[in-house]
Amino acid sequence: MTPIVEVAGVTVRFGGLVALSDVSFAVRPGEIIGLIGPNGAGKTTLFSALVGLNRPDAGAIALDGQRIDGLRPHRIARLGMTKTFQNTALFPAMTLLDNVVTAAAVRLPLGAARALARDCLEKVGLGAAADTDIDDLTFPQKALGEVARSLATAPKVLLLDEVMAALTPNEMDAVVATLRELRDREGITLVIVEHHMRAIMRISERILALNFGQLIASGTPAEVSRDPQVVTAYLGQPDASHA
Amino acid sequence: MMRSLLIIAAVACVALLLGAVLQPRGYAVRVVCLILLAASLGQCWNIVGGLANQVSLGHAAFFGIGAYTSTMLQIKFGLSPWAGLPIGMLFAALVSVLLSIPTMRLKGPYFSLATLAFGEACRIVATAATGLTGGPQGVSVPFAGNSWLLLQFRGAGAYVPVFVGLFVVVCVAFTLLANGRLGYMLRAIRENEDAAEVTGINTLGVRLAGGAISAALTAATGTMFAQFTFFIDPDIVFSATSISIRAALIAILGGVGTLAGPIVGALVIVPLEELLSAYLSNKAAGIAPLIFGLILIGIVVWRPSGLVSLVTQRRGRT
Amino acid sequence: MIAVLQALADGLMIGGVYGVIAVGLSLVFGVLGIVNFAQAEFMMLGMYVAWFAWRYLGLDPLVGAALSFVAVFCLGALVQRLLIQRIMKAPPVAQIFLTVGLLIVLENSALLLFGPEFRTVKTAYQTRALMIGPIFVSVSYLSAFVAAVIVSGGLWLVLTRTWIGRAIRATAQNPMAATLFGVDTRWIYAVAFGLGTGLSALGGGIVLSYSSVSPTSGSQYVVLMFTVVVLGGLGSVMGALVGGVIVGMIQSLSTLVMPIQLQNLALFTIFIALLAFRPQGLLGSPSR
Ligand SMILES: Nc1ncnc2c1ncn2[C@@H]1O[C@H](COP(=O)(O)OP(=O)(O)OP(=O)(O)O)[C@@H](O)[C@H]1O
Ligand SMILES: [Mg+2]
Repeated sequence: MTPIVEVAGVTVRFGGLVALSDVSFAVRPGEIIGLIGPNGAGKTTLFSALVGLNRPDAGAIALDGQRIDGLRPHRIARLGMTKTFQNTALFPAMTLLDNVVTAAAVRLPLGAARALARDCLEKVGLGAAADTDIDDLTFPQKALGEVARSLATAPKVLLLDEVMAALTPNEMDAVVATLRELRDREGITLVIVEHHMRAIMRISERILALNFGQLIASGTPAEVSRDPQVVTAYLGQPDASHA
Repeated sequence: MMRSLLIIAAVACVALLLGAVLQPRGYAVRVVCLILLAASLGQCWNIVGGLANQVSLGHAAFFGIGAYTSTMLQIKFGLSPWAGLPIGMLFAALVSVLLSIPTMRLKGPYFSLATLAFGEACRIVATAATGLTGGPQGVSVPFAGNSWLLLQFRGAGAYVPVFVGLFVVVCVAFTLLANGRLGYMLRAIRENEDAAEVTGINTLGVRLAGGAISAALTAATGTMFAQFTFFIDPDIVFSATSISIRAALIAILGGVGTLAGPIVGALVIVPLEELLSAYLSNKAAGIAPLIFGLILIGIVVWRPSGLVSLVTQRRGRT
Repeated sequence: MIAVLQALADGLMIGGVYGVIAVGLSLVFGVLGIVNFAQAEFMMLGMYVAWFAWRYLGLDPLVGAALSFVAVFCLGALVQRLLIQRIMKAPPVAQIFLTVGLLIVLENSALLLFGPEFRTVKTAYQTRALMIGPIFVSVSYLSAFVAAVIVSGGLWLVLTRTWIGRAIRATAQNPMAATLFGVDTRWIYAVAFGLGTGLSALGGGIVLSYSSVSPTSGSQYVVLMFTVVVLGGLGSVMGALVGGVIVGMIQSLSTLVMPIQLQNLALFTIFIALLAFRPQGLLGSPSR
C-alpha cells in the first residue's frame, strides 16, 4: 500500500538550534501512530513542519503521493492534513460552535457548515457545550474542541498534539475510544503526540520516538518500549547526552 | 443579521425623513449629510480595522484616490461622476492589493506605521504630480446647475438620498462580511492567524479581499465627498489626521468591529466638530482636534470597546 | 565628486543628530514594548523649550537642549504613569490609538499655546562655515554633530555604568527577572519613557540650532524617526545611532538627484520597504 504521509530527510533549524535532524518515516492510510519523546524533542516542530507552519530547511514531505513541503498551511489543510495546537488555539472571541463553523465554512455554505459543525462537536462529545464561550471551557474541553474544529476540515490525516493532557484516566479512556472510532468509521489516519505512556501505548499501532530532533526508534508499542535508546532518553541516563 | 439590517434601515429612514422635512439649503441638512459621510467612512475602515483587526492609518490614500479620480475625469474628459465612481473604486482596490504586497505580513503597530507612511506618500505624490491632480492649490468640481447626471446640486438637501444610498451600501457590505463566510474567516484571522491557516483559511487571500473591498468603498466615499464640497486639494483628501485617523476614531469611539460603532461615532463626532468650529475656531485654532485627541485617549483608557458597549455590555470584545 | 563629498559630510553631521532623536524612540520600544507614535511631538516640545530658553534666558539652543531634556523627561514620566501604564498589557489597537491620541493632543496644544508661526533662533556662528579641504562645514551642523556625539556618549555611560541604566537594560531583557533582582519595573518604565522622550526633546533642541520650530515640526520628523529606528532595528540603541547617520546621508545624497518635494517620498518608500523586507533592521540578525 502507498503511504499517505511520507517524510524524507526533514531538517528544521531555529537559528543555531537543530530542532529536527534528517527525520524520515512513512504513515500508511488508516494507521494510528504514536509520536513520543521527552520535552523539547521536536514533536511539535515536526507537526508544524508537516502542516506547513514552518518550512523545512531540508528534506521532502508528501501527502497522498503529492509533494507538499513549501505549500502554505491552508493548501495542506485543503489537501487533507491538519493539526491541533498543543496549548490549544481556539478563536477566543467566538463560541465553540462558531470556531468549528469557521473551519467548515471554508468549503461549505454557512447552513451546511453549521450542520457539519454540530456533527463534529457531537463526535467528540461536546454537543452540549456548543454555545459556550471559549474562556468558559475547561482545558480538556478546549483540546477536544480543537479536535472538533480539525474534523470540520474533513481531514485524511489528523495530527493531535497532546489532546489528552490533563485528563483523568477515565476521561482518557473515553477519548481513546472516540479517536479509535474516528479511524474505524471515517478512515482518518491519526498521528498522536502524548506524554501519558499508558494511553499512547494502548491506542497506537506503531510508535515513533524522537529525541533531540532525531528519530531514535520506530516499531510496535512493545518493541519501542523495550528499545534501549528510548529507555535511556526517558530515564535521562548520563550517556544519553551525546545523542 | 436581521437586527443589523433593521438598524441600517431605521437610520436610512430617519435620514431620508430629515432630508425631506429640513430646509433643503439649510445648515441642519448639511450636518445630516456630513454625518452620513462620516458614518460611511468609519464603516469602511471598520471592515479592515474592526473585522480583520488591521489598524490602517492610511485610508486617506483610498479616499483621495476616489475624490481625485472622479473629479479629474470630469474636468479633463467631461465624464460623469457616476462613471468616475466605479473607476475610482477599481483603482483604489488595485492600489490596496499592490500595497498589501509589502504590508501583508506586518503585524499590529508595524502595519499601522506602514499604512501611515503610505498615506503620506500618496499625499506627496498628489501634491507633486501637478499635471495629474492640479497640484497643491487643489481643483474645483465645475458646477453646471442641479443635475442628477452630474451628481451635483445647489444646497445639501438633494444629496441626502445619494448619501443614504452610499451609507446603506457600505453598511450592508459590512453586515454581509461580518456575518457571512468571509466574516468568520476575517475574525478567525484576527484571533489567531496560524490556527486560521491550519483550518484551511487562506489568510493572505482573505485579507486581500477584505482590504480591497474596504479600499473601494472608501474611494466611493471620497467621490461623494468631492461632489458635496466642490473643492479638493491633496492636504484635505489625503490628510492623515482629518481622514485616516478620523476614520479610525469614528469607528473606535462607537465600537470597533460592530455595525453600530461607526454610526454612533459619527453621530457624536460630526455635531461636536460643527459646534466646536462654529463657536471656537476663530478664537483658537487647534481646539477641535485637541478635543478629539482627548476623546481618543479617554476612550482607549476608560472604554476600549467604545460607546456601543454601554448598551451591549456582553459582546464586542476586541 | 565634490558635491558628493559635500553631501556625505552634511549627511554625517545631520545624521548624528537624527540618531539622538531616534534613540529615544528605540529606547521606549526596547524597554516598554510600545511603539510611540507621539515620540516626535515630544521632540517638538523640546524644540519649544530650547527656543524659549534662547529667547528669555539668552541660552544657546545647544545648552538650552539640556533644559528641554529635563522638562520633557518629567512630562514623559508623568504621561507614562498616568496613561501609558494603563495600556501596557492592552491589545495593539489600544496602544496605537493612545499614542496617536497623544500625538494629536500635543501637536494641537502647541498650536493653541504658541500659535502656528515658525520660530527660529539666532546664534553668532549660524552663518559661519569652515573650509576643510574642498568641503564647506557649516559651524551649526558641526556643533550640532559634536553635541550629538557627546549626548550619545553620555547615554552609553548611563546605560552601562549606572545602577539605573543597568536596571533599565535588565527590564528591557526580562521584566520578570528584573523584578526578582529587586527592580521596581513600574518605576523603571516611567524613567525609561521619560528618558526616551527626553532624549528626543534634547535632539529637538539641537535641531533648533540650525532649523526652526512650529507645531507641525513633530509631523515633519515622525516618519524620519521611525525610518531611522526601523533601519537600525527597533529597540536597539546602537542601531538607532548608526541608522541616523545612514538616513542623514541618504537624505542629503538624494537632494543631488531629486527635487526637494520628492525627498520625503524617497524616505517613505525606503521605510515601507524596510518594514516589509527587513523588519529586524539592517544591523539586526533575523530571529524567530
Ligand atoms: N519558534 C521557535 N524558535 C526557536 N526555537 C524553537 C521554536 N519552536 C521550538 N523551538 C525549540 O525547538 C525544540 C523542539 O521544540 P518542540 O516544541 O518541537 O518540542 P516538543 O517535543 O513538542 O516538546 P514538548 O513535549 O515540551 O511539547 C526545543 O528546543 C524548542 O525550544
Ligand atoms: Mg510540543
